[in-house]
Amino acid sequence: MMDEKFDCIIVGAGIAGLSAAMTLAKNNMKFLLIEKGEFAGSKNVSGGVLWGSDLAKLVPNYWEEEDGGWERFINHRRLTFMDDQSTFSIDFKSSHFNDTPYSGVVVLRSKFDRWLAGKVQEEIDNSDYAMESFIATNIKVDEVLMEDNKAVGIRTGDEKFHADSVIISEGVNNLLTRQVGLQDDYVPADHMLTGIKEVIRYDQKVLEDRFQLNGLSGMSNEFVGFATDGVEGGGFLYTNRDTISLGLVAGIKDMREKEKSPHDLLNTFKAHPVIQDTIKGGEVVEYSAHVVSSGDKRVMPKELYKDGVLLCGEAANLLMNAGKAIQGMDYAMRSGILGAETIVKAKERDDFTSNTLKEYKQALEDSYVMKDINSFQDAVHMLHNPTMYQDVPNLICDFGRKFFTIDNEPTKKSRELMSESIKEHSSYWDLIKIGFKGAKSL
Amino acid sequence: MKLMDLTERLGLVSYRNQAKSDIKPHIEVDTDICNSTCPHKCTTYVCPANCYTMDEDGKVHFQVEDCIECGTCMYACDQGAVDWNYPDPEIGRGVTWNFG
Repeated sequence: MMDEKFDCIIVGAGIAGLSAAMTLAKNNMKFLLIEKGEFAGSKNVSGGVLWGSDLAKLVPNYWEEEDGGWERFINHRRLTFMDDQSTFSIDFKSSHFNDTPYSGVVVLRSKFDRWLAGKVQEEIDNSDYAMESFIATNIKVDEVLMEDNKAVGIRTGDEKFHADSVIISEGVNNLLTRQVGLQDDYVPADHMLTGIKEVIRYDQKVLEDRFQLNGLSGMSNEFVGFATDGVEGGGFLYTNRDTISLGLVAGIKDMREKEKSPHDLLNTFKAHPVIQDTIKGGEVVEYSAHVVSSGDKRVMPKELYKDGVLLCGEAANLLMNAGKAIQGMDYAMRSGILGAETIVKAKERDDFTSNTLKEYKQALEDSYVMKDINSFQDAVHMLHNPTMYQDVPNLICDFGRKFFTIDNEPTKKSRELMSESIKEHSSYWDLIKIGFKGAKSL
Repeated sequence: MKLMDLTERLGLVSYRNQAKSDIKPHIEVDTDICNSTCPHKCTTYVCPANCYTMDEDGKVHFQVEDCIECGTCMYACDQGAVDWNYPDPEIGRGVTWNFG
């Protein structure tokens, strides 16, 4: 293995790296996929929902497997505005989403990535390089080897492995991306958030009754407002088979300035009267945290490729929350596929320089990934504006309280109630600005 | 549902090399910077695993053992005090998620 030169070395067996590996295996390429964890997924944390149908392209009919690594498919979406006492939700559930391929599945990464790695291994076994392509775990890559500013392999400790190309899919804490000069050595906290989560276990029947789940159907619920106690960000709740994933994402710069701690924020969220009722009776089985990027393009690497090397997934800060869903794992999957397809082309041409690799960037620009990231930048900026994560949820909940209160006094019309709530929590001018931005950005 | 304190939460985390005493720290912190010029000492509250603590005299201390490799301190520290890396599987203490 040591003297062999690979067509490609992929660093990181998360969703981007595994999707790239699957694509390379399907195209009979000789590659090495290196993962620092004990197994694929052992170092990964997500909310989280894998949206879209790319999974079905990689693993056709994945839903027919007895235990497919995923938890539940989403047919129930809820967006909840919170103040300190109340919640006001937009709730949509439809059997329309019961059909395969599902448009979103909830995953727990330690299980899902491990399962997907098994599928990649099956594909390797069926390829021309069954004995020469590898998934290697428990190896930390210290350095991407560069010769004449071109990536030629990797170094781990004293060992070097050579390849015509390197795919960096190391995740958001992208040290190798920085080492090869595609991102600055120091990335400021401005557009970075900390995700913090508990996995809470229930008796499966209790969970299914509580959230009106049927078979493997599931719910995704995002929260804005009091959830993060005035800090930029929001909350989430996703239903797994017999657990829920409950957590927050909170802006790192904002926590620094407001002197807030993420685990205190999580307790504040859990102590909210509505959340208390929602999650009662469970047993916390894991606490976890991980940095995520906001989807603001200003934090993205300067470029997604250079000679011999490509960036996929969160290493390139491909993630976005434009208000409709928090997307990242689908971007990782698509970028991994597109990155690997570019490496296949490079092999055909025997040209692994930027001449070929720039096509990866173009493919990504032409895909929904960069199209969405580009067209929803205004929405990203708007969601990270205090009016959106503070004033608007307070206003909506205040209106809700007034609207649903019956106190045997003459009832005011909704319009009047709304006007009172607006005056109390914001201003018409702020809302016109937000409404105008919102109409433009969404 | 009873709220957990951080020690209880970290008690649910699985680490590799849990019992190893001579682990090599994967994060190095120049606490001289924290304790001289840093205006906010924010790592002492933004770290989700409380690896950074402040003593009675307001001095910052760092321990790597509880680190869950989230990366928050690498971004939060804008003073150049945090040298961040992932643990080496052989010689470092690293997290292994059961759910993730």
